[in-house]
Amino acid sequence: MAANFWTSTQQKQLLDAEEVDVVHQVDKEMGFTLEDCKLIKMHMANYIARLAQNVKVRQRVVATAVTYMRRVYTRKSMTEYDPRLVAPTCLYLASKAEESTVQARLLVFYIKKLHSDEKYRFEIKEILEMEMKILEALNYYLVVYHPYRALSQLLQDAGMSDATQLAWGLVNDTYKMDLILIHPPHLIALACIYVASVLKDKENTTWFEELRVDMNVVKNIAMEILDFYDSHKMITEERVHLAMHKLGFKQ
Amino acid sequence: MGDGHNTNRGSGAASNKPEWLQHYDLIGKIGEGTYGLVFIAKIKSNRSKSIAIKKFKQSKDGDGVSPTAIREIMLLREISHENVVKLVNVHINHIDMSLYLAFDYAEHDLYEIIRHHRDKVNQAINPYTVKSILWQLLNGLNYLHSNWIMHRDLKPSNILVMGDGEEQGVVKIADFGLARIYQAPLKPLSENGVVVTIWYRAPELLLGSKHYTSAVDMWAVGCIFAELLTLKPLFQGQEVKATPNPFQLDQLDKIFKVLGHPTQEKWPTLVNLPHWQQDVQHIQGHKYDNPGLYSIVHLPPKSHAYDLLSKMLEYDPRKRISAAQALEHEYFRVEPLPGRNALVSTQPGDKVVNYPVRPVDTTTDFEGTAPLQPAQPASSGNAVTGGIPGQHVMPNRSLPRPMHMVGMQRMQPQGIAGYNIASQAGMGGAMNPGGIPMQRGVAQAHQQQQLRRKDPAMGMSGYPPQQKRRF
Repeated sequence: MAANFWTSTQQKQLLDAEEVDVVHQVDKEMGFTLEDCKLIKMHMANYIARLAQNVKVRQRVVATAVTYMRRVYTRKSMTEYDPRLVAPTCLYLASKAEESTVQARLLVFYIKKLHSDEKYRFEIKEILEMEMKILEALNYYLVVYHPYRALSQLLQDAGMSDATQLAWGLVNDTYKMDLILIHPPHLIALACIYVASVLKDKENTTWFEELRVDMNVVKNIAMEILDFYDSHKMITEERVHLAMHKLGFKQ
Repeated sequence: MGDGHNTNRGSGAASNKPEWLQHYDLIGKIGEGTYGLVFIAKIKSNRSKSIAIKKFKQSKDGDGVSPTAIREIMLLREISHENVVKLVNVHINHIDMSLYLAFDYAEHDLYEIIRHHRDKVNQAINPYTVKSILWQLLNGLNYLHSNWIMHRDLKPSNILVMGDGEEQGVVKIADFGLARIYQAPLKPLSENGVVVTIWYRAPELLLGSKHYTSAVDMWAVGCIFAELLTLKPLFQGQEVKATPNPFQLDQLDKIFKVLGHPTQEKWPTLVNLPHWQQDVQHIQGHKYDNPGLYSIVHLPPKSHAYDLLSKMLEYDPRKRISAAQALEHEYFRVEPLPGRNALVSTQPGDKVVNYPVRPVDTTTDFEGTAPLQPAQPASSGNAVTGGIPGQHVMPNRSLPRPMHMVGMQRMQPQGIAGYNIASQAGMGGAMNPGGIPMQRGVAQAHQQQQLRRKDPAMGMSGYPPQQKRRF
């Protein structure tokens, strides 16, 4: 149910990595690779975060919006659902769901401010139409649990409150990946603490062992995060640009 | 959701209806509010079931799906409980950008049940029914609260009771447009604007509390409990209409008159509440010596019912009884024990009250704008063939009446005649003016009547309050 991850629709709908790493048939025909899709989603997650800074909504709204966007692309193609419209619309919908409603015209204003590129320009009407299509694509499941809540509690418990900023930043970065669609939020939080311990050279094996969680899963998530950072170094503007280019013009 | 949420822009062979709409036979409009309309419809594949369809208009300010609708969808999509209304489907019509929520239809609500007893039969609601309704209401609320959801707008018209069928007499909490998860709000709760209709509004809210809790719902339940007993709203204050959040002096005065003056002794945090502290309108001076809750509700001060009621109407929200505690109260452990079918008592000799069905305005289509035919006068007993294909018109139900499951503004009933006809039809099973085929008319009601008698224990087994809650 709504305030408990374990009975939530989110928990019931966690996906396997293979279900998330899909390239829809239409996208394949347009020449999209899995790597392209991942790059575009990452690029859009960044776009959502930048828009959010401008319209002044909190991180939780960003996290929910990115989750919506990622869920949409497990079911819909980028060819049919233009990410440049889906991303701001997800932020718009998430702002309502998280009770920090942002007006559509304000969003349109900041989109223009951030992007002179014609391909990013959308009318209010287009956002409102996309809002309904996204609601449908999400199958009306709107409650999302995030690692942040668990994070603060766990850090305190581990005696690592000094690493809060680092761990918080790591959690923010997990939204550049699809982890939130695959793993329960508290395991993502633990993986971030694990990475933070490694980076800070803090020995807390005992603390982890005393937790009743599958440490293999936590370590695997941590490995994914570290792999992401490694590969992230190699991502150039140009590669993102090439992937985005496949989206072509506004239909 | 599940099936049929296709966004079909095309048209069916015979009509322009979007595909999802073709799953339903629209019967008519049962209510109207600021956000849109409510309809009753039958599911074509299962004609014994009715659903209520709440249509949200696109908001005029150009801001898409209303946050109220979003909130209702997101909560109802997560929760599932026998005593909470069931959202069966969500539909979107992309052409006019309207949103439809489909709920299991409930024939009755506490507002109408109370009104029927007060204005029609002139008789108190029987103790079994009162207790069963209250228990189920608390059971649903306990589920919500233990999942960190506050309803925030409990009132008789939002408490539904199922009509004939396998769930007869089961209570359903409805209208989650104001509900919210209170675990980790991004904004202080008070920034969401005023909540709870003023008659059922808790004193801490009236005094301007910023951080209120699920105890506000329990206050509302106390008010509803008293209203079930007396058939009159317990604290009927005059609402001050102003924005934002005006001080409701008269409402507080009504409460003080009945419960006595709140004191810091009884309610330590009272002095911190903004309106009490500032005391612009000298509410602190409203002292009444002889509070008399028991005389208003006609309960002996030592009865279990009175004890429970006074614990719900405790001033201090921190001392107010919770839903979980209330379910354990002695009141529910003594005869008559509460049951699943609140409308039909198992006590021998208890009369079954036939509540009127909701009047339906069969002249309005889903657009709500284009009347299909001239409106029929309420008293008309003539059959009118509706303009909706396949629709049967039920003259007994042709009165538009507010549908409160969704907390909209009340429409003035245009007449009462229809009610009597409907309830008589339900009782006698002989009236069918003009021999019109009726979907939920005489024959079915008669059948149900028989069913009730054959199976007096329906729904009673395994429903004692002592039983562990199911979650």
